[in-house]
Amino acid sequence: MNTVLRTQLAGVSRRPARMLLTGLAVLVASFVVYATVLAQQITERSVLDGLSGTPAAVDLVVREGTITAKDLAAVTAVPGVSRTSALAQIGVQYGGQYLNVTADPGSGPLSLVTVTSGRYPSAADEIAVTPRTVQLLGLNVGSTAAVDPGSETGKPGKKVTLRVVGVVAPPQDFGYDTYAPSATVFALSGQPYIQQIDIDLDAGADGDQARTRIDQIFAPVKADERPHVATGADVRLEEARSSADQIDQVFAVVAMFVAIAVAAAGLIAASTFRIVFAQRMRQLALLRAVGAGRGAMFRALATEGALTGLVTGTVGVLAALAAGQLVPLALRGLGWKVLSPGVPVLPALGTVLLAVVMTVLSVLAPAVSASRVAPLEALRAAAGTGARTGIGALRWVAGLLPLAAALLLAGYVYTNLPGPDEQNYDAQTMLLAVVASGALAFVALIALGPVLVRPVLAVFGWPLRRLGPVGRLAIGGVGGSARRAAAVSVVVALGVTLVAGVLVGGASIRVLGDRELAASAPADFELTGGQGSTLPAGFLDRAKAAKELTRVTPYRRIEAKIPDFDGVPVTDLDMAALPRLVDLDFRTGSLADLGPGKVVVAGWISEMAGLGVGDTVQVDNKGKKVTLTVAAVLGDDGPLHSGLLVTPADLTALGAGTAYSGLLADAATDGDTGRTEGLRAMRAVGGGQSDYTVDVLADQRDQVASSLTALLGIALGLIGLTVLIAVVGVGATTALSVVERVRESGLLRAIGMSRGGLRAMLTAESALYGVIGAVLGLLLGVPYAWLALQAIGVNAPLAVPVWQLAAAFLILVGLTALAGVLPARRAARVSPVTALGTE
Amino acid sequence: MQTHSAPPTGRDALAAVAAVDLVKVYGAGDTAVRALDGVTVGFERARFTAIMGPSGSGKSTLMHCLAGLDTATSGQVLLGGSDLTKQSDKVLTKVRRERIGFVFQSFNLLPQLTAERNITLPLDLGGRKPDAELLDRLVTTLGLGGRLGHLPSELSGGQQQRVALARALVSRPEVLFADEPTGNLDSRSGAEVLGLLRTSARELGQTVVMVTHDAGAAAYADRVVLLADGQLAGEIHQPSIASVTDALQSLAAAR
Ligand SMILES: Nc1ncnc2c1ncn2[C@@H]1O[C@H](COP(=O)(O)OP(=O)(O)O)[C@@H](O)[C@H]1O
Ligand SMILES: [Mg+2]
Repeated sequence: MNTVLRTQLAGVSRRPARMLLTGLAVLVASFVVYATVLAQQITERSVLDGLSGTPAAVDLVVREGTITAKDLAAVTAVPGVSRTSALAQIGVQYGGQYLNVTADPGSGPLSLVTVTSGRYPSAADEIAVTPRTVQLLGLNVGSTAAVDPGSETGKPGKKVTLRVVGVVAPPQDFGYDTYAPSATVFALSGQPYIQQIDIDLDAGADGDQARTRIDQIFAPVKADERPHVATGADVRLEEARSSADQIDQVFAVVAMFVAIAVAAAGLIAASTFRIVFAQRMRQLALLRAVGAGRGAMFRALATEGALTGLVTGTVGVLAALAAGQLVPLALRGLGWKVLSPGVPVLPALGTVLLAVVMTVLSVLAPAVSASRVAPLEALRAAAGTGARTGIGALRWVAGLLPLAAALLLAGYVYTNLPGPDEQNYDAQTMLLAVVASGALAFVALIALGPVLVRPVLAVFGWPLRRLGPVGRLAIGGVGGSARRAAAVSVVVALGVTLVAGVLVGGASIRVLGDRELAASAPADFELTGGQGSTLPAGFLDRAKAAKELTRVTPYRRIEAKIPDFDGVPVTDLDMAALPRLVDLDFRTGSLADLGPGKVVVAGWISEMAGLGVGDTVQVDNKGKKVTLTVAAVLGDDGPLHSGLLVTPADLTALGAGTAYSGLLADAATDGDTGRTEGLRAMRAVGGGQSDYTVDVLADQRDQVASSLTALLGIALGLIGLTVLIAVVGVGATTALSVVERVRESGLLRAIGMSRGGLRAMLTAESALYGVIGAVLGLLLGVPYAWLALQAIGVNAPLAVPVWQLAAAFLILVGLTALAGVLPARRAARVSPVTALGTE
Repeated sequence: MQTHSAPPTGRDALAAVAAVDLVKVYGAGDTAVRALDGVTVGFERARFTAIMGPSGSGKSTLMHCLAGLDTATSGQVLLGGSDLTKQSDKVLTKVRRERIGFVFQSFNLLPQLTAERNITLPLDLGGRKPDAELLDRLVTTLGLGGRLGHLPSELSGGQQQRVALARALVSRPEVLFADEPTGNLDSRSGAEVLGLLRTSARELGQTVVMVTHDAGAAAYADRVVLLADGQLAGEIHQPSIASVTDALQSLAAAR
């Protein structure tokens, strides 16, 4: 073993804390990187699972063709097929009501329902129902239903009596849904129509082989009726895409977080190493002074670094793997639909490799610096590192150049922000430009950090300064070693920037969502008779009489012509009647401006027809013409997707009849029961006639709200990892700086600082890292969130959730202070004499 | 050479600080080291006393115990008549801050604070304002004018040690302790610092206790106390380089 390596190892055994802390940074870095990779998998799998109807266990899917019960049996018999599930349903009449019977295995990985009470049907005359069906149709467990499955000729068929044996939670509940094994459904329908077969293969079965066999089964079928076989993964992605077309953007954002986590991990590792640098420099300079060769020095350091990296990297990856498997398990226990990740091997190896490279580079860096200068110069430099506050010319350049680039990019994005509904707008590129600008801003922050520390301290340190000498010393300590402070704070800033960005983005998108929902779902229920038809008289009175309904609001709607545009929906909905319409976004004017001879124009109409407030527009309905003045312009869509809003008198002048096109109403009481009662009342208004449909707009609203919450949750979860690394970084840095500064602590104790005082000072120092980081993070995060929102082109307003941001600020400062508590306690316990004796 | 066979007791009215039958044992069992083995010695007010002895004789340990930096195994340390060995860390902290000044061999300035802030640090810690007149006098006497705004890294070793000296004196301590204050200095800066220590004792009435192994440094003192193997091994009043060297040699020969 060469002498330098021996010296290093002796150093490690003498001061294991230092080594541990250096390693800890790498350990946490690799933990975070790998955990983010796993989080990406968890997110993608869970999002896919949530948005696609096909369960994750489905390996193959047969669909898009004629599939018979015989085919199903043949597919089930194919070697390697573990189980199958047929997607089939039949509509039956139950006392004048429509009832849907859907096939489902009832249990196992292919089932889409879960039994909540009773049991899943097994006999031929048994069914399970959904909760809303129980409420709306009174089909309790134990009751029977005589249903008419109809006949091929369309005439009523022979009645069949079905027995309700259980209640199941379905993917979607319209209030007329029942479930049964596929055999029951086939028996009811006589000639069953199977939409799709979901196939679960045996573990380890050859998918391609099974696929070929299944293809053979359908080979005799006519080409245009022959079903296709697809993989479950493809089908799930397809389904997810069709239910949320932003799915790819969501995945892109998740991938971006992985990149950010890697960057943050690098940052934190670098900032911890920076502190070890000073100490290393000293030691290396000494070794050089006594004649250690450069080659031996490099080899020894590289070996040490590689070993540290390998061990800590592996431990970090294993810890992440454990967390990645346990967290989804725990979340599932709490009732969340979260899937477990797999074990991605390549990223794991990559992470360990990254750890090794990171460690080797960072232990070699001081060696390079040390070998470039004369040994004594290095010794002197090492002594002064902690106290240097300014930055050199090179660093100024390294900071100002990216800053200029960041500003240029941001300026470019700002000047090219899309107008509302701009065509051919490339959101992806603009978003990328925003991210690039943000990254550059961070590079600038890293370089210029040391000069920012003091101004930020001067402004935000005042409460601490008033707390007496300990506070002043802490500020002095942080301000005096601005480089160290900057290195730590940048990591915190990164975390805060991301948290602030997500909070601001989330709040803004929520406002946007409220606006859009105000337009598309202004009330809980809507009853319509379909395109162009009107409601019979009496409906309105019946609805108003129903005590389960409130704010019953009828409206008329026609499609008229305005210059250059045909088929523009015009409505006379009474905007004041529905409180939710308050959320509507007005570009100019307000609701109150609407009056006789006036019109409120949807944003998209205003843009396409070039209409602004004060302009006049001629509306033409089959020859009846009215000229109206634009009183207000909406932000985007009009309520119920209408283009023009007019007074009832003007709509009548346009030739609209007295009959209403539709009814809106809210449930009289909140909650699920209230909503179901309202739905029942609304359906009763329609008299059970299938011509009139009732839409539960409230369900749509809930769905948007819950998917928004889920997305926010995912984003915050991923960011949580960045915050974790920031906090651990602060902890490690504080611990390291405490280890490095034992002498200093000893001195302070020797000249009369109390134990508590020292503890408070060191804790305050690490809290100050948090304050500086959080201030910088907020200063970057809020504007960038705004810019990103504008760049996406969703026309969202800037909503700054002040309280949430303040809470995030306080929590982060609290966490960083907490990270300093342990090291501070440790430092305060050491006796002054021992501390002063430490080199 | 004069030696006291009966050393002054700690209750001597003149003693600013005194050790009475002080014992300090490091470690336990086989590896136990008796760094101080029943030392009884007093240090007179307004005098400059040097503690001398071979390396490992317990000089630093004695000083640390006297300054309340370390706890003794048994015996008493009397500072102004009160026993420090029975005190809590809280009281000792206050003692260190207000009644004792300490100068180290390796300066031990806080690198991030300016010279001035380093000097006033003990007062800052106690929440006291420095006495402007005293500060002025110290700065002038120690020749630190124009250097107050500098960081320690911008000062020479001699200047750093003078800042440390100012820091130790600014709280008007009852006793100023200095552990090999010239060990890291060139001979000229060392002579300056020693001269300043003597001046502060003679002209400002400051009690000074200094550990050194350098006979030249000890000659600046009014009195030299000799230690060997953790025990008192004699003392010299009005020492000269020659008398101190002799004493050290006879100590070495006795071993
Ligand atoms: N922290 C310690 N642990 C164990 N032994 C110590 C410690 N400090 C000092 N010693 C021992 O006590 C004795 C006296 O040390 P010290 O007071 O430093 O001597 P001096 O300052 O005279 O050179 C020496 O033998 C030394 O090895
Ligand atoms: Mg010593």
